[in-house]
Amino acid sequence: MVGLLALPAVVFFLVFNYLPMAGLVVAFKEFDVNQGIFGSPWNGLENFAYFLESGDAARILFNTLFLNVLFLGATLAAGIILAIMLNEIRSTFFKRVSQSVVFFPYFVSPVVISIILQVLLAGASGGGGAVNDALTGFGLPSVDWYTEPGPWPWILTVVKIWQLGGYLSVIFLAAIMGIPEEVYEAGMIDGASRAQMAWRITLPLLKPTAAVLLVLGVGRIFYGDFGTIYAIIGDNGTLFDNTDVIDTYVFRALRQLGDFGTTAAIGLFQSVVGFILVVIAVLIQRKYSKETSIL
Amino acid sequence: MSSRKLEPFTVVSVIGVSLAVLACAIPFWMIISGSFTSETKLATTGYSFFPDFDVTAYTMIFTGSAVLNAYLASVFITFVGTALSLAVTSGLSWVIARRVPGISRPLTIFSYLPMLFSGGLVPLYLLVTQYLHLQNSYFSVILPLLVMPFLVFVQVSAFRQLPESIFESAKIDGAGELRIFFTIALPLSKPILAVVGLFYAVHYWNDWFMALLFIDDVHKFPLPLVLQNLISNISFTAMLPQLAEAATPVYQLRLALTTVAIGPILLAYPFAQRYFVKGITLGATKG
Repeated sequence: MVGLLALPAVVFFLVFNYLPMAGLVVAFKEFDVNQGIFGSPWNGLENFAYFLESGDAARILFNTLFLNVLFLGATLAAGIILAIMLNEIRSTFFKRVSQSVVFFPYFVSPVVISIILQVLLAGASGGGGAVNDALTGFGLPSVDWYTEPGPWPWILTVVKIWQLGGYLSVIFLAAIMGIPEEVYEAGMIDGASRAQMAWRITLPLLKPTAAVLLVLGVGRIFYGDFGTIYAIIGDNGTLFDNTDVIDTYVFRALRQLGDFGTTAAIGLFQSVVGFILVVIAVLIQRKYSKETSIL
Repeated sequence: MSSRKLEPFTVVSVIGVSLAVLACAIPFWMIISGSFTSETKLATTGYSFFPDFDVTAYTMIFTGSAVLNAYLASVFITFVGTALSLAVTSGLSWVIARRVPGISRPLTIFSYLPMLFSGGLVPLYLLVTQYLHLQNSYFSVILPLLVMPFLVFVQVSAFRQLPESIFESAKIDGAGELRIFFTIALPLSKPILAVVGLFYAVHYWNDWFMALLFIDDVHKFPLPLVLQNLISNISFTAMLPQLAEAATPVYQLRLALTTVAIGPILLAYPFAQRYFVKGITLGATKG
């Protein structure tokens, strides 16, 4: 009887999650809209072969892994540093306000982030923007950022830190709050400075939390951050070499080429490898700490 | 902790945090300030720290119907979506939280499995467009986002913190499971419903990906999609500066629209912030 309450959710998962899994057979088909997913003729592994031979495969796989590793490491480090620094602040008011402010970027749409970035990097023309004005102010040459693929992995990393640093610091600060007061009192009696206590007490005790987040992040490493990257890069082809990830590639192929078979093949590849990574990640994490396990 | 002397590390921390605060706040100030700056000034710099209270863009936004429609579309998606999501999520979470033999455990796996393995973009696209025929309906944005597993975590752990004794005594008084859920559990969970609801609301308000996939009728665009469209056009004008000097204040309009899009979040944030902190703390430590 009580199970009825879960019925809408069950229907949701069946239609929007489990049914599409079955729809992945389209990866092995020569898809034709008129014949539908199950009516279209099979074409074996041709879709996969097409993707691997297109020459894009190596580039977007590399970008996906490289960018995600960069994002994961940088945001976790930023979150930990910010949390430790926030913990040092004595004034409750200043601490609360700062935490609110650094947490705020988490709540804005990637589209808004993209606009902020244009204000900073492009301004009214390619070589304008606040950053270029600052560079010029220091006597440095300005850069036409949106035509220069080189720095974009780092620009995107800064964006991710800006977007997620505050959010992660909230999680880490909660973990710091859970550290018993006596540990610090013992440290104080031994004459430890605040910096020593942060380095030798707080940081090691944040390891379990960091490990959980790291493992979860590793599990997601095959999924590009579509929203942020696509909102910022869009269809700016000059930047693709360094920024195109699986998700953006699939999306473009779907929208521009309408090639359902190949895109589904890439999607299936991504799902399978992603799934294997998630399972490995979850198993490692379960072994590491039972009580914070996600399953 | 209270009687400690000021140490260099504390000073460094205060400076570090202050810099982080500035880095997070200044971009928003530049957007808001820029939205009140005349197009001629913006066309040379692209940003401004000191507004000159030029409201051309806002006048355009609030007199024309296009942006108003986009706003209403976003409001519709946010309200209907949040209401549906809350209903579906709390129903599911309650069944999981109750640990009903033979139901709760399989249901947990059934609900979390999609987090680990998904069909990806293509099957979803085909499902919504070819089979459900939801193109250009706002439900094409709402339905795919209906349940966020992370928020199911949060709500399950919140339900499990309610004292079991209340439910026991309600049962003795003859209340059924459904009655317990609707008249006891839900009213007691108002704070956590607020947390979960706020997360969903932000999610729906900001969504543009589903809209980008499924809504191609310009008159039905929600706000973020209108903004996104403006970006692509602007990056184009950025390459051709003469376009920026056309009659429409494109730069100011873009910044004003951004302000309009973050406005509701910015206004609600001071009141909602502690709920968000509560939510992720609960989800992170108890999940």
